[in-house]
Amino acid sequence: MVVVMAKQNILSEKEQGEEIISSVGMIVTLISFAMLFATLMMGFAMFRFSAPVWPPAGMTKPSLIIPSLSTLLIFLSSLCYFWYEKNIANKKGLDLTIFLGLGFMVVQAVFWHTLSSQGIYVSSGIFPSIIYAFTWIHAAHIVVALSLLLWLRFSGATVKVKQAQLRVASVGKFWHFLGIVWFIMFLTIFVL
Amino acid sequence: MAFFEQHIHDAPKTFLSKYVISFDHKVIAKQFLWYGIIFLGIGGMMALMIRWTLAFPGEPFPVIGHFLFPNTNGVVPPDTYAMLFTLHGTIMIFYAITPILIGAFGNFCIPLMIGARDMVFPTLNMLSFWLAFLSAVLLLASLFTPLGGAAGGWVSYPTLSTTIGSPGVGQTLWCLAIFVLGVSSTMGAVNYIATIITLRAPGMGYFDMPLTVWGLWLTAILNALFLPVLGAGVMLLIFDRVFGTTFFLAGAAATSGSGDPVLFQHVFWIFGHPEVYILILPAWGIVSDLLSFFARKPAFGARSTALSMTSITILSTVVYGHHMYTTQMSPLLTQSFMMLTMTISIPSAVFFANWLGTIWKGAIRFSTPMLFSLGVVFVFGLGGLTGLYLATVSTDLYLHDTYFVVGHFHYTMAASVLLGGFAGTYFWFPKMFGRMMNETLGKIHFWISMLGLNGIFMGMMIVGYAGMHRRIYNPFVYEYLQKLIPINMFITISAITMGFGQLFFVYNFVNSLWNGPKASQNPWEVGTLEWTIPSPAPHYNFDIIPVVKCGPHEIGNPNLKGRDFQYQTEELA
Ligand code: HEM
Ligand SMILES: [Cu+2]
Repeated sequence: MVVVMAKQNILSEKEQGEEIISSVGMIVTLISFAMLFATLMMGFAMFRFSAPVWPPAGMTKPSLIIPSLSTLLIFLSSLCYFWYEKNIANKKGLDLTIFLGLGFMVVQAVFWHTLSSQGIYVSSGIFPSIIYAFTWIHAAHIVVALSLLLWLRFSGATVKVKQAQLRVASVGKFWHFLGIVWFIMFLTIFVL
Repeated sequence: MAFFEQHIHDAPKTFLSKYVISFDHKVIAKQFLWYGIIFLGIGGMMALMIRWTLAFPGEPFPVIGHFLFPNTNGVVPPDTYAMLFTLHGTIMIFYAITPILIGAFGNFCIPLMIGARDMVFPTLNMLSFWLAFLSAVLLLASLFTPLGGAAGGWVSYPTLSTTIGSPGVGQTLWCLAIFVLGVSSTMGAVNYIATIITLRAPGMGYFDMPLTVWGLWLTAILNALFLPVLGAGVMLLIFDRVFGTTFFLAGAAATSGSGDPVLFQHVFWIFGHPEVYILILPAWGIVSDLLSFFARKPAFGARSTALSMTSITILSTVVYGHHMYTTQMSPLLTQSFMMLTMTISIPSAVFFANWLGTIWKGAIRFSTPMLFSLGVVFVFGLGGLTGLYLATVSTDLYLHDTYFVVGHFHYTMAASVLLGGFAGTYFWFPKMFGRMMNETLGKIHFWISMLGLNGIFMGMMIVGYAGMHRRIYNPFVYEYLQKLIPINMFITISAITMGFGQLFFVYNFVNSLWNGPKASQNPWEVGTLEWTIPSPAPHYNFDIIPVVKCGPHEIGNPNLKGRDFQYQTEELA
């Protein structure tokens, strides 16, 4: 009896350790990612505040309709993921997250297409440079995050419950982080 | 503290899993060590070619010149010269010093010194090395592109580095290589930080960690924070070069709607200044420990050394503007940066005084690692002091972009960091490979290096003060610099001497791997955790995780019986 108790204690200590390790690791990683995006935003701010008129050189801002749709989709996907995190046995939330994430990518592609069909290309100056480059970089992260979500979706069966929970939590942090980054980009580049 | 015990894995059996795709932090450390030493050789050869050109302009580079530059009869051509100083800087900073100090010692020392069986994320660690390898392949590949490698300086300022300044693929590959290396180092940094937070042996508080681990930890934190900044910078540069964005193209954003080259300088130095501390912090840590170990005394003010290193780490994030005084910053900004930079002198002086306090009245054992550590104390003193002249706006306006700057940063990096790296190599070699390095050869290596490097870098500061600019192919086309030819020859001869001295190290290192005398468990008689296990360290490090009861520098305590040091696992005497 005592032995069994002790064993359980050791196990839970190990699990606790793993939990702390994975959250410390993920938080440090996200801080690194945040610095990457912060640098981009700093560059944007320098251009924005040193220009007497913005957007410069007679450009106009792109219409808000498509970026707002992207924002809505990624917001809903994060909500679905929260729902999934509550009960990871039920994969519906995860499926919805993946679906909405893919939707986000489709809308981004539509956005790039409309820009170029209006004659706004990557090389048309600093404002288009910022719009394209920043959304590309963000989209590249979304692609990585989507593959992580797919990995969660299809690897779940083989791992222990506790481990699965840790993975779900870590990938979730990344997904929500990308949502927040998108929201900041949406506000600063498109709205303001 | 979230301590938990890692399993003991089975020892890897195949050659592939043992030496190539290894998850063992000690093997990865050795991989990084070899990687760094090889690049140290390549970068060193490049330095000699640069020096040769400056001392004997127009004369063919001896021996291999005709083979490397057949079109010019062995003389280094001007465009190659630009490539050489660019790649010399890049290689030494990112591919030699970073892998040795951070990749090799970080990997080797952190788990062993905190009593862990491995890093928390061994897979990440393995990936980190192989990404660094990929990055090296990209960098070397750039040399074989039609227009040659990058030639815009290691700082790769636009417009030199945009397609206007360097149309070749070489510069793009350079950016990619740096980006990949940044990813690799960030992965390493995440691993180090998480390992130190979560895997310290029971009883080991942060102030019971050896200062080496402190240095490596602070370095990892700076890496995790600032490498992504460089990553963003070179990524945008790649976009400019490949996709035609206009981030760094000249022309005011307001009128022509294009970008701003100075933005890259900001981004580069926001990363770049922390980077110089990224390089020096591990060396400081190693030296702070070794001084105590070989002076047979506790480290003087170890806690305040750790805290002053921490405050330097914090301050180093807000001083980057001192690299950009000449970019037409507003005087308000330059003076703020000047003041902030000067503030760093305070914590620097604290730990420097602690170093002197540590060796004061010590029973110093002049073994090779100690000689190198004392060397660091000397050259870092000089390097740090010259920084003050550069930090002062009024003097920097004159000194900026002269050889004085080159002398300054070589004293801090090529001298301090490199000597610190050598000290660490001589010190941990027994634990890494289970054999001792030869002391006599080590001492010869030390004295030749010390003589050589002071000749080189002191000479550089003198010619810089006399007005010789850096990065000029043949400075002596300017009449006022022609008087500097003899001293430039002296610098080059010192450089050749120093290069020659490194042969002693290479021979000693390679020879000791097989023929060195077998090392005992604790050849230097110190008490940190890595010396409580056999040499070389077994693949699981500790069969029983140690319990820490005292600090790392308990040496020379009069209560000790029989020996003058105690292990960290022993109750304080
Ligand atoms: C201790 C106080 C230090 C101060 C006050 C200081 C100050 C400066 C200043 C003001 C410059 C810019 C000079 C110019 O371009 O005109 C500079 C350049 C540099 N410093 Fe330091 N520094 C210090 C320590 C270090 C350390 C510890 C390292 C490296 C381990 C280092 C590495 C460099 C490098 C690499 C450059 C030149 C980069 C380039 O332009 O290529 N410095 N330093
Ligand atoms: Cu600096």
